[in-house]
Amino acid sequence: MRRSIWRTVAIYAFVAFWSFIVLFPFYWLITTSFKLPLAVSRGPTYIPFVDFDPTTVHWEYLFTNQRNTTLRHFRNSLIAASGSTLLAVVIGSMAGYGLSRFRYYWRATRWRNDQIAFWIISNRFLPPAVFVVPFLLLYTRFGLIDTHFGLILIYTMFNVPFAVWIMRDFFNGLPLDLEESARVDGASRFQAFLRIVLPLSTPGLVAVAIFSFIFSWNEFLYALMLTNFDAITLPVLIAGQNTNRGIEWWFISALTLVAVIPVVLIGLFLERFITSGLMAGAVKG
Amino acid sequence: MKQVFLLPAVILLIALVIFPLFWSLGISFTDIQRGGGVRESAGFLGLGFELTGRNYARLLVDERLHIAMRNTLFFVFFGVIVQYVIGLMLALVLDQPFRGRNAARVIFLLPMMTTPVAVGYLGRMMFDPARSPIAHALRTIPEWFGADPVFVPWLTNPAYVRWTIVLIESWQWTPFMTLLLLAGLQAIPRELYEAARVDGASSVQVFRAIVFPLLVPISVTAILIRGLEIFKIIDIIMVSTGGGPGSATESLTMYVFRTALTFGNYGYAAAIAFVLLVMVVFFTTIFLSLARLVTPRMR
Repeated sequence: MRRSIWRTVAIYAFVAFWSFIVLFPFYWLITTSFKLPLAVSRGPTYIPFVDFDPTTVHWEYLFTNQRNTTLRHFRNSLIAASGSTLLAVVIGSMAGYGLSRFRYYWRATRWRNDQIAFWIISNRFLPPAVFVVPFLLLYTRFGLIDTHFGLILIYTMFNVPFAVWIMRDFFNGLPLDLEESARVDGASRFQAFLRIVLPLSTPGLVAVAIFSFIFSWNEFLYALMLTNFDAITLPVLIAGQNTNRGIEWWFISALTLVAVIPVVLIGLFLERFITSGLMAGAVKG
Repeated sequence: MKQVFLLPAVILLIALVIFPLFWSLGISFTDIQRGGGVRESAGFLGLGFELTGRNYARLLVDERLHIAMRNTLFFVFFGVIVQYVIGLMLALVLDQPFRGRNAARVIFLLPMMTTPVAVGYLGRMMFDPARSPIAHALRTIPEWFGADPVFVPWLTNPAYVRWTIVLIESWQWTPFMTLLLLAGLQAIPRELYEAARVDGASSVQVFRAIVFPLLVPISVTAILIRGLEIFKIIDIIMVSTGGGPGSATESLTMYVFRTALTFGNYGYAAAIAFVLLVMVVFFTTIFLSLARLVTPRMR
């Protein structure tokens, strides 16, 4: 009994400690966005109303003077992320279904399903640096620099491998009976896939969508490289504050929150899909 | 018919991965510069350029590149260790039944969702030498005990700054390790624990003899994925230190990016990128063969 009490105390102490480490920076970000410059520059101030007077001027600035800039970049991020998410879900679930239900043999490479699946997922781990130069040249050549479509395309390329991997695993876990009875009733393979299999796969699709969306929303290197005005996404906008006007922590904090809040909300409400998706991606792989 | 399902993915990957990969290899043997008339004179593939081995010769003597290689390996090596150790501790805690466990799991997950650029800024705010809470704590807490205030130049001293990057990176990505290891732990049948406990084994013995060996496969996966991801590191560094001071924290990806975008030297940037690719493949192979040695009967 004694022992289990100590055990509980130790668990809570450790959980509290790590929660503090995780949450404190977020707390700092939120409070800083309500601080006047002086409250930042005269040293750390911790608690609103106690050691600094909170102000909403930075938020007002962000959504009045800067309104168009803020919303435009938010929209850019949203378009790039949703577009590539949609494509990744469609392409990934098709390929995942194929790899789960058919037997392939590619004569040229002598690959069967497992090798094909492995090749597809291995693309996810190629260093993006390798693609910096060819994509710069390709995108310049085809006029894709600074377009939404350009970003969607490259993010889809990064999202598809993981999507295939998760969906293949998910379909492997679905029983065949339902599809087969639909086939007996005269549905084509593709109809069975669309009408029977996909509706049953919502958890997998949601997991894929979350991962794709978060990856694209947060991506920085390619957004920085392939956009220069029209299609700039939030991470690039935030990183750009670094040099434009010196470091205005209070303003940067507010802007950063605009970029962070949507994904944190996804994390808070859809955590179970994230966990299950990671499991599918890693444990069985 | 069945090929139709695979077709979009395969076309996408061939067009956007395989083709650029080989093309980039070709570019690395040319000295294409920005504005060097890729469009006008040389034909779209840059094939009109003379092939040269100059970029690869330069790799050998480029001091900045060697620093970037060392930095990247430093981040990967220590990042993976820090994240694995903390991640495992957190996973072991989360595997215990206690009230609020689900809430704790969600909280622990949050850094992973955060935009790395934002994490870079957070790191900079947390480790600011004068105005950050950490600096403040290091100034005041020692004074309570009559000691001298501690000043750590987190972001300005080359001896510390790489560790600072590792810490920031680990803050963001330890949850990933935790999640995977937790899944590994939960897959272990409870009867195994109970049987060992009945035989009088202590918690430490159970962990060493039962839990840890069963965690090896998932640990290999988790470490591999994290390692591969850290090899790509750029955004956190870009925002928190800008690669500095000097090039003390410049990573390979960052150097590629600067060579291409800032200096406009496409040929050399492509060559550096291939150094990174070769390093990734090399270390993955070594890691996997080591893993195979320590994994009990893993095919």
